[in-house]
Amino acid sequence: MSRPVAKLVVVGRDAAAWLTALGLQRAFGRTGLSVGVVELATTLSPVDAYVALPTLGGLHRLLGLKEREVLAAAQGVYVLGQRFVNWSGGQSGFVHAYDTQPMGVNNVELAQYWIKARGEGMKVAFEDFSLGATMAKQGRLSLDAELADGFTRPAYGFHLDARAYVGLVKAHALRGGVKLLGDGLGEVHADGERITAVETKAGERIEADLFVDATGMDAALIRRLPGSDFESWRAWLPCDRLLATSAPRLDPIPGFSQIAAFRAGWIGLYPLQRRTAVIAAYDSTQVDDGAVLEALPVLTGLKPQGEAIVSALEPGRRPRPWIGNCVAVGDAAISLEPLDAVQPHLIQAALSLLISLFPVDAGDMAEGEAFNAAMDLNARHVRDFQIAHYKLNQRRDDRFWNRAREAAVPESLAYKLDLFAARGRVAVYDEEAFQPPNWTSIFLGHGLMPRDYDPLVDLLPPQDQVLQMQRMLKFIAGEVSVMPTLQSQLPSADRGASS
Amino acid sequence: MSKPLEVVIVGGGTAGWMTAAALVSVLKPNICTVRLIESDEIGIVGVGEATLPQMKDFNEAIGVIEPDMMAKSNATFKLGIEFRGWGPKGTRYVHPFGKHGAAIGGVAFQHQWIRAVLNGHAYDINDFSYPIVASRQNKFEFPAKDASAINSTYSYAYHFDAHLYSKFLRAFAEPKGARRTEGKVVAVTQDPENGNIASVTMESGEVIAGDLFIDCSGFRSLLMGQTLESPFEDWTRWLPCDRAMAVPCDRSTDFSPYTRSTSQKAGWQWRIPLQHRTGNGYVYASAFISDDEAREALLANLDAPAQADPRPLKFKTGRRTDSWKKNCIAVGLASGFLEPLESTSIYLIQVAVMNLLRLFPRTPIDPVLATEFNRLVDVEYERVRDFLILHYHANPREDGELWRHVRSMEVPDSLNAKIELFRRRGFIQPYRDGLFAPPSWLSVYAGQGIAPTGYERLADNLPLGEVVPRLDDLKTRIADRVALMPDHADFVRDYCPSPAAVDPAQASSGIRGAVA
Repeated sequence: MSRPVAKLVVVGRDAAAWLTALGLQRAFGRTGLSVGVVELATTLSPVDAYVALPTLGGLHRLLGLKEREVLAAAQGVYVLGQRFVNWSGGQSGFVHAYDTQPMGVNNVELAQYWIKARGEGMKVAFEDFSLGATMAKQGRLSLDAELADGFTRPAYGFHLDARAYVGLVKAHALRGGVKLLGDGLGEVHADGERITAVETKAGERIEADLFVDATGMDAALIRRLPGSDFESWRAWLPCDRLLATSAPRLDPIPGFSQIAAFRAGWIGLYPLQRRTAVIAAYDSTQVDDGAVLEALPVLTGLKPQGEAIVSALEPGRRPRPWIGNCVAVGDAAISLEPLDAVQPHLIQAALSLLISLFPVDAGDMAEGEAFNAAMDLNARHVRDFQIAHYKLNQRRDDRFWNRAREAAVPESLAYKLDLFAARGRVAVYDEEAFQPPNWTSIFLGHGLMPRDYDPLVDLLPPQDQVLQMQRMLKFIAGEVSVMPTLQSQLPSADRGASS
Repeated sequence: MSKPLEVVIVGGGTAGWMTAAALVSVLKPNICTVRLIESDEIGIVGVGEATLPQMKDFNEAIGVIEPDMMAKSNATFKLGIEFRGWGPKGTRYVHPFGKHGAAIGGVAFQHQWIRAVLNGHAYDINDFSYPIVASRQNKFEFPAKDASAINSTYSYAYHFDAHLYSKFLRAFAEPKGARRTEGKVVAVTQDPENGNIASVTMESGEVIAGDLFIDCSGFRSLLMGQTLESPFEDWTRWLPCDRAMAVPCDRSTDFSPYTRSTSQKAGWQWRIPLQHRTGNGYVYASAFISDDEAREALLANLDAPAQADPRPLKFKTGRRTDSWKKNCIAVGLASGFLEPLESTSIYLIQVAVMNLLRLFPRTPIDPVLATEFNRLVDVEYERVRDFLILHYHANPREDGELWRHVRSMEVPDSLNAKIELFRRRGFIQPYRDGLFAPPSWLSVYAGQGIAPTGYERLADNLPLGEVVPRLDDLKTRIADRVALMPDHADFVRDYCPSPAAVDPAQASSGIRGAVA
C-alpha cells in the first residue's frame, strides 16, 4: 500500500534552501506535508547579490511574495538584460535583452531581415530593434506599457541583495508554516539509496520521508548515496575562482548588468539601489586574486568598498540529483558561474519539477528518474548557453581567451553554432531555459554572422524591407523616450512598499 | 539576390501536390520555380483519407477556401477518432481533437478526475470532453472563438477523398505557376562530382534538370531510396502490420464526425465517412492472418453494401534514415510509412513541406539545412511511432496471436517509463515539438484501461466536496451546449455540399456499428 510523504526536511542554506522550503510548503502544506529546515550557516557575505532572469517574477507570484516588497527589502533593481563588453570587439559591446521577439513579415524572424540588411551595409545593430535593449541602455522602464503587435516584448529580471533577499524569503517561509528544526549539521545517516536521518549540530536526530539537499558544493546528503558522483565541466568553463565585492551605487541606475571580459575572466557589475554588487570570475592559473582586486578600479571605473570575498568555483553537476529519498538542489546538484543569471533559474527549475513530480509513495519514489532526465536537459542547455560566450570571444591577446575560443564544445552546442552560422536559425530542444531570441541575441552580439539569410526574406520587396526597419526604429525610439526612468520606478525600503 | 531555385517534384498524389501548392502559394517566382512530373499510368496510393487539425492550418497558410475544398473532395468534418475494442472488452473511447475538462485549482484536469474516481465517483472521462460528447451524437459546428466558452475547447479536421484533394490542389497550384509534366521517369542522372541529382530523363526522352528534387514517388522512393540509397529503418518489430485491404461502401445513416478504428483479430479496421461513400479498410499483420481471411473479415464488417472488390495494399513500417540528402528531399511515403491508426500520413507530408519552407535552400545547398530538416522530421516520426506502439502494447485484447505478441514485445524504454508514470500518478510528459499533446496521451491511456493509482498531490489542496460539484457542472454544461448543435449531416449539406453527395435520406441504414 502506498503511503504519502508526511515529512520533508530541507538541509541547507540560503536561497536554495529557503525558496525550496517555501515552495513546497505553499504547494503541499495544506495537504498534510510537514516541511522543516535544518539551517546551515550562510556562506553569503554582505557584498553578495542574486542575479535573476525574468522567470523569478513568476516564482514570486507562486510563493506569494509581492514584487514591490521584494524589491524594497532587498535593494532590488529591475534588469532588462545583460550588457557584454570587451568579449568580441566593439567598444560598447552588446546587450542581451530578455525580450520575446515576434515574427517579422511573412512569418520570417526579424533577425533574418537584419542579416540581409547587414550584409548590404546597414550599420544599425541588431539590439537596436529590441525595445528591451533600448530601454536598458537609456535606463528607462515602463511597467505597464501597452505595446503594439509585431514588436519585441520587454521582460525584466532582478538584481537583489543576497542576504536581505534570503532574510525575506526565510521570514516568509517561517510565517507560512515551515519549521526551523535546528542549526548546523552533524551526522548524516544513510542506508543504501536512502537517507535515514540527519543530526543537527546539537545532536538531535531528525528523520523524514524525503530530504532536500541544499548544502551547496558540500552536497552533504546526496554524496552519501551511491551514484551521486560529480561530473566536472571545467574543460568547457575555464573559470575556477570567484571574487565578490561591492562598489558605490551607480547614478542613474542602468537597466542592465554589465559583464566585462578581462584578460583571464570577466567582471560583472550588478546595480542595486544603494550599492553596486561586483562579481569577478576568473582562472586562478592565469591571474591571482590580488591582481584581480587591484585591477577592478581600472576595469570597472568603480572603487571597491567593503570586503572582497574569494571563493573556489568548480563548474559541473551531479547527473543524478534525485537518488532514493534525497533531492539535491542548487549548488549541491549543479554548480555554474553566475554568468547569464542562471543560478536562481536552476533552483526554480528543480522546485517546479519537484512539485509536479512530488512522490506519491513515500516508500517508492520512482519519480526520481523523470526528474533527473528533465534536469539533465535543463542543466546541459544552460551550460551550453554559458559556453557559447567563451567560444565566440574575439580577444586575440590572451592565452585564456585563445584557449576558450579553440576548445572543443559539447556536441549539442557545436550543432547550434553550425546551424546558426549557416542560416541564422536556432535549433531548439525540450527543457530549454533560453529561447531562440536569447540565442540569436548572443550569437549575433558576439559577432557570429550567418553566411546566408532565409530566402523568404526576399518575398518582401527591398524598399519595403527598409521602410519596415525604419518604422520599427522610429516606433521604439518614440516609445522609450516617453517612458519614466527605471530609477523612478523602484520602491525603496524607506519609501515603503505600498506604492 | 540569387537566381530562383528550380524545384522538380517527382510524383503527384497528395505529397506531390501538397508540396507544389505550398511552394507556389507561399513563395514567389523570384525565389523558386516548381515543376511536377507525374504519370496518369502510375496509380496513387491515396494515403489516409482522414486528417488531423493541422490540415486546416496548412490549407489556411496556402490560401485554400475551406468550403470549396470540402465540396470538391467530398469532405466531411472530423472531431476525433473512435477506438472500438482497443481497451477493456466491450469498451470504446475517443481520441478527441480537444482537451478533457479544464484545470481545476491550477491542477491539470486528469488529476481531479482520477481523485474523484479513486474516491468512488464513477465518472467516465469521455463525458468531460466537448468534442467526444458531440461525436457521440453525430453533431458538428465550428468551435466558438470566445476562449471562455465551453464550445471553444476543440478543433477539427477533415475526412476527404485524397485523390480528389490532390486534384483540387492541382487546379489550385497550376494557375499559380506550378508546371505539370505528364510522363514516366526512366532514368536519373547524378552529378559525378558531388552525387547530387542532376536531372531525370522522361520516357519521351526529355531531360529535366533542377536544383532541388522532391521525391514524391511513394513506396518506390525512386530518388531517395533507389538513387541516393538512403537506408530504410525497419520498425516492424514494434508495429507488425504490413498489409491492408481497402474497400468503399455506400454512405450509411451513421454519418459520424469522427474516424472509427475497430480492433480486429490481426489488426484493425478503419471507417471514414465521406459525402458520397464510406471508406473502409482492414490493416493487418500478414504473419497472423491470410489475405483471404482479412478480405472476408472486412466485408463482413461493413455497415452498408460494398461498392467494389477490396483492394490489397502492402507496406513496411519504418522510415528512410535521411529525409533530405544532397539536393533531394523525400516527402510522404518515399520518406517512410506509419500505419494510419492516428491519421498521421498527411500530417507527416505537411511537416516535411512546412520544414522545407522554414529551411528553404539556395544553391549550392548548405548541408546543415539537411541535418536540421532531418532532425525535425525524426522527432515527428519517432513521437508518432511511440504513440502508435502505445495503442498496441497497452492493449488488454486477449484473442489473437497479434495481440499477445504486441503486449509482450520489447518497446522503447522511454515509452515504458511514460506508461508507468501515468499509472502511478496520472503524469503526462509534455514536449516541445511534434504530435501528440498531453490530451491525446490522456485519452489513449485512459481509454485503453491504464487505471492510475495516484494523482498529483496539488489536487488535494481543493476539498473533494468542492471538486465534485465542479465536475458535475462541467459535464452538464457540455451536455447542454452539445444539445444545441446541428447534426453533422445537416451542417455538411448546408456548408459544403458536394454534387456527388448521397442524400442522407437515401443512405443505407444497414448494419449499424461494426463489431467491438
